[in-house]
Amino acid sequence: MALLNNEIVQQVQQRLADLPDPVKLMVFTSPDHCDYCKEIVQLAEEVAATSDKLTAEVYDIRQAPEQAQALNITMAPVIAMVGAKDYGLRYYGIPSGHEFSTLLAGIERASYGKPDLDEQTKTYLASLSQPVTLQVFVTPTCPYCPRGAILAYDMAVASDKVVAEVVESMEFQDLAMQFNVMGVPLTVINGKERIEGAAPPPMVVDAIKKVLA
Amino acid sequence: MFDFTLTEESSATAPSGGLYDVIIIGGGPAGMTTAIYASRDGMKVLVLERESTGGLAATTERIENYPGFPDGVSGMELMERFRKQAERFGSEIVEFDEVASVEPVEKGLIKVHTAEGHVYEGKTVVVSTGSRPKKLGIPGEDEFYGRGVSYCATCDGPFFKNKNVVIVGAGNSGLQEGLQVLEYAKSVTFIEFLPYTRAEQILQDRVKASPKTTLLFNHRVAAIQGQQTVTGVVAVDRESGEEKLIPTDGVFIYVGYSPISQFVTDLVETNRWGYIVSDARMRTKTLGLYAVGDVRADNPAQLTVSVGNGTIAALDIRDFIRELNS
Ligand SMILES: Cc1cc2nc3c(=O)[nH]c(=O)nc-3n(C[C@H](O)[C@H](O)[C@H](O)COP(=O)(O)OP(=O)(O)OC[C@H]3O[C@@H](n4cnc5c(N)ncnc54)[C@H](O)[C@@H]3O)c2cc1C
Repeated sequence: MALLNNEIVQQVQQRLADLPDPVKLMVFTSPDHCDYCKEIVQLAEEVAATSDKLTAEVYDIRQAPEQAQALNITMAPVIAMVGAKDYGLRYYGIPSGHEFSTLLAGIERASYGKPDLDEQTKTYLASLSQPVTLQVFVTPTCPYCPRGAILAYDMAVASDKVVAEVVESMEFQDLAMQFNVMGVPLTVINGKERIEGAAPPPMVVDAIKKVLA
Repeated sequence: MFDFTLTEESSATAPSGGLYDVIIIGGGPAGMTTAIYASRDGMKVLVLERESTGGLAATTERIENYPGFPDGVSGMELMERFRKQAERFGSEIVEFDEVASVEPVEKGLIKVHTAEGHVYEGKTVVVSTGSRPKKLGIPGEDEFYGRGVSYCATCDGPFFKNKNVVIVGAGNSGLQEGLQVLEYAKSVTFIEFLPYTRAEQILQDRVKASPKTTLLFNHRVAAIQGQQTVTGVVAVDRESGEEKLIPTDGVFIYVGYSPISQFVTDLVETNRWGYIVSDARMRTKTLGLYAVGDVRADNPAQLTVSVGNGTIAALDIRDFIRELNS
């Protein structure tokens, strides 16, 4: 049975009708402890089928170490959205509920290669010389989460130094616990600084500065 | 078992621009209803929403008193339906862009400025920004936000499976959300400042029927304690003054709401709590500016009220625009 009903498929088709660059949805699965790997693969394939600009590629993280390494991926399940180049857009877990919006926004970012950010934020991000990983913890039932997640995607598109990993907290409980995440959205920068709630761009920029200082 | 919600996103579908008949600030039930009526009436409608649409209604798991859904409906699903209906009639919706200010220029022209620097022009503007959860303002509340303190059980509830949870506030929202949390938590302790609850009887009955609940009335929560994450709350019995440490993994705070009206306070009259005063036609004191839903003074915070307000505003806007054009 399809995961996406006809109505949603139509909406997705419409929304992705004018994508400029092709986007690969690179799905990495894992043979162990992966409750929803099957569904994630299916979802990526169903989404890919909505536009001829989209393709889905599926890899077992253990059997395709080069591909995983090339994208710096060490955990699964994950969907990497790769456009004309790899902007560093990742979704860990299944993007269901409100998070389906995050997936589509990620695909759009990967295709357009253009962030939806103010000039000041873009200028700062373009000046980065050190790597920044933004991990945004989410749950599918959280209406405030896509905003935090999409901001991270925008930042990743704005700078080659930034990688944005959106993490479905229930599927990655150990990781969430490692950072004492008990509320979402929550953004962790380079595993150090954390920001609770859907923060505006200047607040995230300040936190990045603090981590890099 | 999975559901997939699709909301739009600002950069993807740029709004058509130009002069709108009505710009609606806030995509909750009040705003969406205004959009449904106005766009069905042929008006050019723009909804500006700072999060994804749905408002507070989308943050509750179960709505049982909205007519037409005898078995109840999830807030998210109901609000998706509102949205689809608005879109079907041509309403344009922009999400993740917050309105920063409203600038009336002349009769029939109001400019709306957003935080991302976009400016939109409307003949009329509807404020349907609702309200935000109140904080307790006690030690530990900010410190443990995201580490066990939460204002959204639907968002953060999944972290508290088989854990002990405290719900502060035993009004309708507190009991309603507590009942949801009860489905997976080990225990739920409700702490209420007043000696009684004003919540609906049906909610009270359900809460009391569960062996996993404790109700503490006439108690003030004085502090939230923890180390890396929340470990307990300090509650003070308001009668005896006795201090009790209640061990818990999570604290959900439902102690009321405050209106989101700051960005228009110079254009409208507000009551002493900051709610916007609008007349029976939903008009504020600024010509062409309307206020509907939870942000409006003297409104009970209920979906049906928001929906009614939105309807009235849209109908009056039609008259207002006719008059402008003639
Ligand atoms: C836990 C809970 C349970 C509830 N249960 C029920 C129930 O069972 N039955 C019932 O009838 N009611 C219930 N309610 C109340 C109901 O949700 C509200 O009455 C209703 O949502 C109010 O609608 P609104 O459109 O006025 O405001 P809101 O729903 O608050 O929507 C306002 C919207 O405006 C947006 N916004 C705010 N400021 C800006 C800005 N500057 N720019 C752009 N957008 C902005 C917000 O993000 C929000 O989406 C419940 C509420 C809660 C919190």
